[in-house]
Parts: sequence; structure tokens; C-alpha cells
Amino acid sequence: MQPRVSRSARLSRRRLLLIPLAVPLAIAGCGRKKTAPRQVVDLLIESDGDFLAFKPDTLTCPSGATVRLTFHHGGKFLSARHNWVLVYPGQMEAVDKAVENNEGIIPKDDKRVIAVTPMCDKGVTVMTQFTAPAAGEYPFFCSTPGHGECMNGILRVTAL
Amino acid sequence: MNGIRKGLAVVACVGCSLAIAAPALAQQPKSSEDVKTALRLLVQVSNDFKRQITNKNFARVPHEYMEYTEAADALRMAVKDDPADLKSKVETRLKAAVAAYQKVSDMSAKETDPDKLLAEHAKAVTAMNAVFDLFPAALRPDPNLPPPGRGGRGRG
Repeated sequence: MQPRVSRSARLSRRRLLLIPLAVPLAIAGCGRKKTAPRQVVDLLIESDGDFLAFKPDTLTCPSGATVRLTFHHGGKFLSARHNWVLVYPGQMEAVDKAVENNEGIIPKDDKRVIAVTPMCDKGVTVMTQFTAPAAGEYPFFCSTPGHGECMNGILRVTAL
Repeated sequence: MNGIRKGLAVVACVGCSLAIAAPALAQQPKSSEDVKTALRLLVQVSNDFKRQITNKNFARVPHEYMEYTEAADALRMAVKDDPADLKSKVETRLKAAVAAYQKVSDMSAKETDPDKLLAEHAKAVTAMNAVFDLFPAALRPDPNLPPPGRGGRGRG
């Protein structure tokens, strides 16, 4: 007949058995360097003067990077306002349509939108910051009603 | 008979000469690049007018009219150093074009039938083309060019 061992004693034994494994792991963990600071990428984009186009219309950044994007409204003559809106693939037209009767103002809680700059007038520069999503091609556009059809481009996010 | 033939030949020659000389009547402005930009802006805003009407976004049409007047001002500025003769012709035709686009804008406040507004817009385009005719073909926007940007509706 085996001696009766209480449940708590069995658990303690198991914990003791784990110690030889846990100690080296803990030491290794302590010795590991801190993760490298997240890469910061600065991107600059502007409107093609008063024309409905972005210059450049293709941007690139690595996945996971902190992106600081600066948008400059390069217009001189027209009072048209512009912004820069980054959305998930396949969402551009729907987001554009949704704000058509709202002067193109993007609501803050729109989950289809990754990043957006404020609307700005000619000659003004605005910024936005975001974490680059998973690798892929993401459309961006200006959400002023009627502009997105011509004024759009692609952010190419590369794998790390 | 020979006399009639000679007469017809002279008429044909004069006709051909006029046809060849017609484009040359368009004057070369001093600030060609500025004029080219202003003419492109006029076309861009005119296309925006059309897009807003087609999308039944009538509330935006007066805003497009405001932009059209700004593009017209850009053209006035572009020809400010040109001879008075050209400036006067530009001003006359530009005023007619601006008035035509204003009519579209005014109509959009009450009219909700896109077809009627587009018909009025087509008249405004004709008035705008009369402005373009004052300049050499090389400066006029190509109506067959695709819109600027990537035109990436499908890719989004």
C-alpha cells in the first residue's frame, strides 16, 4: 500500500521539478538585451500644386515602423482643402462615400482608417503618426468630396 | 469654262490658306507655363462640377463655382503682362465662361435633375473652350488625358 500523499504536497513536488528548468530560463531572460527601439520612418508627401494628385503617389515603409507622415498642401490658387487618409485595402471607396456629405471629415472611430491628417488649406503643412501595419499595399486618398477619385496613391508596407 | 475653273481654284486656295492659318491666330502668351497651368485648372474644376452633379452632391456645386472663379483669376494673372488686345479677348470670353458656370451653380440650388444640370454644364464647357481657342494648341489641356493621380478606385 502506497503512502497517502496530500494534494498540496504533490503540487509542491511538481514545482520543485520545474526549478531546474525555470532557473536557466530566468537567467537567460535576464541576460537578454532589451528589444531594439522601434524604427522611425519620416515620409513627406504633398499635393501637386492645385491639381488633384499626390506627389509622390507611392510611399514605402517597413511593417511595424513608427511612421511620421508630413503632408503639405502645395496649392496657390484654389481654395480646395486637402488631407491624407490611409485605409485598409478595399475600403477607400466606402470611406470616401461615407464622408461625402460631411465635408470629407473622417470620424475618429472609423476602424477602416489607419491614419488621417487634418484637413488643410493651401500652403499649410500637417502631420500624422501611426504604426505601419502588416506587409501589403494600402490605399491612401484625399477625402474632400470628389477628390478621392483622382487624388489617391499607395503605401507599400514591406516585411521587416 | 476656264474662267470658272480658275475662280474655283482661287477660292479653294484661299480656303486652304485660312484653314492652315487659323491655329496660328492663337497668340503665344508671355507666361506660357502659367497659362498652361491656369487652363488645366479650369478643366479640372469643370470636371469636378460634372462629378458633383453626376453624384447628385448638389450642395458642393456652389463650392466648385467658387473654385472656378479662382481658376479664372489664375488665368487673368497669367496673361497680365500680355498685350492689351489678348487680355481684352481673354477677359471677354472668360467672363462669359464664368457666367455660364454660375448659371449651373445657381440652378443646382433648386434643380435636382442631373440631366438638366449636365445639359447646362455642357453649355458652360463650350464657353470655356472659346477661352482655350485664344491660345496655341500646345497650351490647351488635352481632354483625352486621364485625370491626374493613380485613378485607383479599383485598387482601393
